[in-house]
Amino acid sequence: MGFGAGVDPCEACEELLQPYLDRELTDAERAEAEVHLDGCSYCRKRYRFEEELRRFVRQAAAEEMPPALKQKLAELRTPLY
Amino acid sequence: MGETTPEAEPRKLAEEARDRVHFEEEALELADQVYRVARRLVSTREEAEDLMQDTYARAFRAWRSYQPGTNLRAWLLRILTNLNIDRGRRQQRAPDLQPLEEGDYYLYNKLEETGRAPNVDQERVDERLSQDDVVSALSAVPHDFRDVIVLVDIGDFSYADAAQILEIPIGTVMSRLHRGRRILKRELADQTVGSV
Repeated sequence: MGFGAGVDPCEACEELLQPYLDRELTDAERAEAEVHLDGCSYCRKRYRFEEELRRFVRQAAAEEMPPALKQKLAELRTPLY
Repeated sequence: MGETTPEAEPRKLAEEARDRVHFEEEALELADQVYRVARRLVSTREEAEDLMQDTYARAFRAWRSYQPGTNLRAWLLRILTNLNIDRGRRQQRAPDLQPLEEGDYYLYNKLEETGRAPNVDQERVDERLSQDDVVSALSAVPHDFRDVIVLVDIGDFSYADAAQILEIPIGTVMSRLHRGRRILKRELADQTVGSV
């Protein structure tokens, strides 16, 4: 991984997408990715899309707990006497 | 002197009852958040409801083993994921060790190929993908990978918490998350673009 000689920089940037958004890169790796992103709209678009996608997945997967279940869980509590 | 008096035992019982009530209240306050994760670990609402009831019944019985001050939501989810595995989930596990050709740009590239790529300045993913697309793509991700995505990306747990809940090394959490997200995007692409 990384932007070494002979490596397609966009492929290298694609490999860094997840750790970049997870804030798992070292400062040096992050700086390398940002230099590339500044000059590459192809990768920039895809990074922005990934950020938005993660938000959307979180929101789309959320389902409220049925109120009847909450009641059933409360009934599982240990009686005081 | 007080601890040896006949009043000591009732006082101890009262304190324990108070701690238990406090624990139960705290656990119930977290039920919505626990359900959000449970719902996506299993396929149906009925399974999620059964799992929640079994989890809370066990948690209320085992409340003394919870260490106050630690992450109660993670503790509850550890019970829940163990129960889920005990229910025979392991039989469905199929190791997904095939090389994954689709990288992280795969979904975007597919959307772009079909003229559905989001606008650069307005990443309105919701105009390209529906909630149903996400739910069914997620359910198509193999369990081992889905568990990690659900805990980290939906449940908002840290890698360390997810590792503890699933009883796997943190490096495994990271590699499953990396691969799982790519599988999820492949599934999303198949569902939204593949059918065109």
